[in-house]
Amino acid sequence: MDDFLINWIANIPVTAVPYALAALGLIVSERAGVLNLTAEGLMLVGALAAAGTCLTLGGYPALALLVAMAAASLVSLLFAVLVVVLRVNQVIAGLSVVFLCQGLTGLIGTLAKWQNKPIAGLGNLNIWPLSEIPVIGRIFFLQDPVVYLTILIFVAVNFVLFRTMPGLRLRAVGENPAASDAAGVSVSLHRIAAIVAGSSLIGLAGGYISVVSVKLWVTGMVGGRGWIAVALVVFARWAPWPALWGALLFGCIEAVIPRVAAAGIRVPQYLMLMLPYLATIGVMIWVGAKDRRGGQEPGALGQPHVREERR
Amino acid sequence: MDDLAGQAAGPLTAPPASPRGLGRITLEVRQSVPPWKQAVFVGGSLLMGLVISVAILAWAGIAPATLGSELAGVLTSESLRGVLVQAAPLILVGLGASLAFRIGFWNLGIEGQMIFGGIFAAAISIHEIGPPSTRLLLMGVAAAAGGGLWVLLAAFLKSRFRVNEIIATLLLNYVAMYFLFHLLYGAWQDAKTAFPQSTPFRAFERLGDVGHGINGGLPIAIAGVLIAGWLVHLSRIGFYTRFISANPRMARIVGVPVRTMTLWLIAMSGACAGLAGFVNVASQEGRLTQSFFNGYVFSGVLIAFLSRNDPIVVAVVGFLVAVLFITGQTLQVFYQIPFAMVQMIEAIIVIAVASSEFLIRHRVRWIR
Repeated sequence: MDDFLINWIANIPVTAVPYALAALGLIVSERAGVLNLTAEGLMLVGALAAAGTCLTLGGYPALALLVAMAAASLVSLLFAVLVVVLRVNQVIAGLSVVFLCQGLTGLIGTLAKWQNKPIAGLGNLNIWPLSEIPVIGRIFFLQDPVVYLTILIFVAVNFVLFRTMPGLRLRAVGENPAASDAAGVSVSLHRIAAIVAGSSLIGLAGGYISVVSVKLWVTGMVGGRGWIAVALVVFARWAPWPALWGALLFGCIEAVIPRVAAAGIRVPQYLMLMLPYLATIGVMIWVGAKDRRGGQEPGALGQPHVREERR
Repeated sequence: MDDLAGQAAGPLTAPPASPRGLGRITLEVRQSVPPWKQAVFVGGSLLMGLVISVAILAWAGIAPATLGSELAGVLTSESLRGVLVQAAPLILVGLGASLAFRIGFWNLGIEGQMIFGGIFAAAISIHEIGPPSTRLLLMGVAAAAGGGLWVLLAAFLKSRFRVNEIIATLLLNYVAMYFLFHLLYGAWQDAKTAFPQSTPFRAFERLGDVGHGINGGLPIAIAGVLIAGWLVHLSRIGFYTRFISANPRMARIVGVPVRTMTLWLIAMSGACAGLAGFVNVASQEGRLTQSFFNGYVFSGVLIAFLSRNDPIVVAVVGFLVAVLFITGQTLQVFYQIPFAMVQMIEAIIVIAVASSEFLIRHRVRWIR
């Protein structure tokens, strides 16, 4: 039983990182007022790009993660042009990008024959001698580098969003684009920058799944984690740190599924696999029941800004 | 006078040129656009989307000439039958999506509703409920109920707990899918083959031909189109729906039963998707399989979006998407192009047409 518990807890960071990074990326773009549903698709792009880099070069997982970030940012530029420049309905644009990515990654991955090939991924960082401490060492000091990097990324993004001038402008654009525009802050540029920067984190989340945690690429391997990240942002009220706690919660749930099967406990396998999705819905219900006044979402979330349009 | 007005409005509409001397780009919101201009913009962008799709396919190894001959092959009489079989579920999911979008409910749970439609229909068959003569009818009714109930769960979550329906319906797709797997790898598994499929339906539980080689699914879809068309264009419900989507508060104040109307329309949307699931399991597959619902969510969104939620147009667009589906299946079988390609083309088309709306609604000006 102790083994079960330690194995479970030690696996939580690995399952939590994709949720945390994707949610953080979404927060950056939604704080600028762009309702972003693209996470599922951009994570697929990141997963494919990272896996493809590793398989082509035969290694270099760190480089592969950078390629994943770049690829997701590149694709997000299409989304940025659609919603910021062309003012397309943000729900329609987000959904289209997700399904475009699903089709495109499936097509490229299958044609390049990357399906089901083992990937020489990123190993764990052994922080000796701390990793030798009983229980705690295995949980805190024997994880892969991205787990530690994620915490640094959270600190950095939180600092930029809430302690610097560009962060203030970004949030102002999301709260009241008309006022920001009048104050000389370019709404379009800040929104595009927020989408592209946030999407690089979403791409990292996807690359992490294929190169670090699963070490394999299959079509549609993100499996709804992007949608859960979208829900996580609502749960976190568009704030970074609550998103990290939420990600750990979903990491807990996802990590327990294979442990239960490995421990030989007999439960219906497919009903267990429903857990993350049911838990997400449960969390959303909790948010709705707790906060009767309505969300604390950015004021202009989902609204395109046209300077010449009267409101 | 003219001059004076121009001077007064001058500083407001055209601030001094920027110091770089390049001027700047402004957007004007057009008040009205003639229909022919709209058609040109939409048609042009549609064409561009298709050109991009053909280019991507050419890169993937399908020469445009091959694509043309495959497309021509699909439209011959033999394959056309397959297209008509495929059109039925697509028209039904298109109707489902458009009915929900009309009331402002983003129903992205079409696959989940199809699954529950299929499960309810299969349950009637497996438990042999009702006499053989009415069994098929009962299966259809059960499928509609299954799809309707599954979407009402999301509608309830939205109205009671304000859970965003986009997220709720999408996540419920995964829940429905794993529930289906739970059945197909468990209690409902075909004992003979040990594949994750239900036992085949009996002959009287299948949608057969209704004459001239036309499958029984098509009349269901056509009936759905006519009923939805009447509902939307001619009935009081359609009028209420337009009122509610234009101004829900005003509608409530003047006594339109907003809540009831919304719930009914959402339930009908789910019922259409459930029927699509029934049509797929009872005609194409003849049993419950683990993939009869794949690729229908975005097809529903695409059909509703391109038809501007008009049920009659849904039938036309649904037929065209069916051509795309069958072509995609051909390319999958003969050229190993994954079926996800169909979703990619659908997405490109939606992106192209959605972008054209910007040009329709705005006039871009370069002020020096």
